[in-house]
Amino acid sequence: MIDVRNLSRQFGDHLAVDDVSFSVRPGRMTGFVGANGAGKTTTMRMIMGVLAPTAGEVRWNGEPITADTRRTFGYMPEERGLYPRMKIRDQLVYFARLHGFSRTDASSRADDLLEHFGLVDRADDLLDELSLGNQQRIQIAAALIHRPSALVLDEPFSGLDPLAVDAMVDLLRREAKDLPLLFSSHQLDLVERLCDDLVILSGGRLVAYGPVDELRGQGAERYRVVMDGSDAAWLRDVRGLEVRDVDGATALVDLDGISPTDLTRAALDHGPVVEVSRARQPLSEIFREVIR
Amino acid sequence: MSTSTPARGAWRLVAEREITTRVREKAFLIGVAVTVVLVAGAVVAASLLSGRSSTEDIAVVGPEAAAIVQSADDGPIAQGGDTSFEAVEVASLTEAERALQDERVDAALVPGDDGGFRIIGLSSVDSTTEQALTAAVSQTVLQANAAAQDVDLDALSAGTTTTTSVLEKSPENEGARTAVATVMVILFLLTVMIFGLQIAQSVTQEKESRVVEILAAAVPIRALLWGKIAGNTVLALGQVVLVVVAGVGAALAVGELPFVRDVGWSLVWFLVLFLLGFVAMATLWAVAGSLASRVQDINSTTLPIQGLLFVPYFAVFAGNDSLTEVVSMVPIAATMVMPMRLATETVPAWQLGVAIGGTILAAVLLVRLGVRIYERSLLRTGTKLGYREALSLAAD
Repeated sequence: MIDVRNLSRQFGDHLAVDDVSFSVRPGRMTGFVGANGAGKTTTMRMIMGVLAPTAGEVRWNGEPITADTRRTFGYMPEERGLYPRMKIRDQLVYFARLHGFSRTDASSRADDLLEHFGLVDRADDLLDELSLGNQQRIQIAAALIHRPSALVLDEPFSGLDPLAVDAMVDLLRREAKDLPLLFSSHQLDLVERLCDDLVILSGGRLVAYGPVDELRGQGAERYRVVMDGSDAAWLRDVRGLEVRDVDGATALVDLDGISPTDLTRAALDHGPVVEVSRARQPLSEIFREVIR
Repeated sequence: MSTSTPARGAWRLVAEREITTRVREKAFLIGVAVTVVLVAGAVVAASLLSGRSSTEDIAVVGPEAAAIVQSADDGPIAQGGDTSFEAVEVASLTEAERALQDERVDAALVPGDDGGFRIIGLSSVDSTTEQALTAAVSQTVLQANAAAQDVDLDALSAGTTTTTSVLEKSPENEGARTAVATVMVILFLLTVMIFGLQIAQSVTQEKESRVVEILAAAVPIRALLWGKIAGNTVLALGQVVLVVVAGVGAALAVGELPFVRDVGWSLVWFLVLFLLGFVAMATLWAVAGSLASRVQDINSTTLPIQGLLFVPYFAVFAGNDSLTEVVSMVPIAATMVMPMRLATETVPAWQLGVAIGGTILAAVLLVRLGVRIYERSLLRTGTKLGYREALSLAAD
């Protein structure tokens, strides 16, 4: 488990990260979101030790993290970087060997990852001969090449088409099933789909942190009611709930005292019903609320 | 699940990558081949052009002149000048002149009008030939005259010989030694420049392509530095050894063994000092590379190092002997200037000791300082750093 404790980083007069604390638990994907300049990349670089914090610390399984531990992490920096004029297979083998793999193990590991991405026949191509999407795949392969003990991925999905995203998610699920995994992203729908835990930064400060389900549940219990033809405006007169929105036959309500059963019964009393359902608060809404 | 441990010998892998990437480059291989061929060719050409053991063909008229040429060939002047004389008998003066005009012979020795002899050349007469023939004529004729007069020539000439000696003997083959020294200096400058820039460039390229952040997360930054220094030192030393071997090989092939024996030790010291100097400067080149944020910046960040290389070079070529003597003991500059002195003069052992000791000390200090700066400047991307700024980073 990675524990980020009271981490701060100052650049000149600018406090880029301000007293941020959260944990990245093993076996759970932790999404890291925030507007541009919120301090996500700075925080990730401090976790990886390529940037020194001004204050605070990073802990690993309860102990202060060491350089040796950090080197077992897989890292994908915000600014992509590999050797542009080196064959991709040689490149992956090189990184595996830097992490202490023998030549044989490094080769079979590189072949394994290339095969997963369907890039076996490109193994001897130079990196800059590949499409940007494929370069991104090699980049993630380089982060996974040494069977890391944790993953810190800065915007791993940016610039990928939906199919490529799926392939990468498959790989992450296979490779990082039991690992602490922190990844940042601007694609909230993706974060919503993948993440178990969520960390939201705004202006360098932590504004929300916890399991996605809990963050969603922080608001009231929200339900959607759709009447069959009749107007849903009658809900405004029901006690024990608050109407968020009515649009013709459709209404969005927060229950505040009555049960879902009572709501359904009341709806049936007012005419034919198409739907009474729990309305999940979309992540983008939580995001907008907390960074406001 | 996790099985990775950071490699202990990561620097070796970095060095290996530096070497294998470089030796696969065509430009590099061509450069090495051209240098080797140039040096070997220059050695062969110099040996041929230096005119050792030349043969002068002399047209002679009459058996007496032929005997004189023979005695000139045996004489001390011919021996000293590494020249041999061969008589080519012709029937008459006219034929001797024709042989000269046709350049079949280098000079002619014909009976003179006053009963003596005349040496004829086409447009000039080689001075060694003139001296040797003149001495042979006078000796042969004196001997003949003395015999005719019944005089003991040995008794007559007793005590007339003079020998010359000097207190400070200048080494033999001075020109060749100077040539060797010059080649060593140029080889040093070129190799240090080429491989130094290569180090700086490979550091900056890693910065520019951002791969450095992944490398830094994988291995200690100093392992990257050691690897680059080690790899490029192996390459640079390899190239220099190859060139020296090619030069020595060429010299041996054209029969210059005695000369190779003469300068052999200075070549060995050259390699030792080259190694020390290169390692001392390698860190500086790497630091210069880490200060640049794009490859275009390298020219300006490496400028101080280029100055460090060329100042002693110009000091030696523009200055006098005592300045050279001092510069040859200044750390790092010594690695370029000392081999030059070793090739051309006898250097006291303590001066060589100062040169080597000082350079080792400087190398240790520079590598330490360099590692500190490098560790702090390598991950600073975006803008070019100045040396002052980098030093203040190092002091953090």
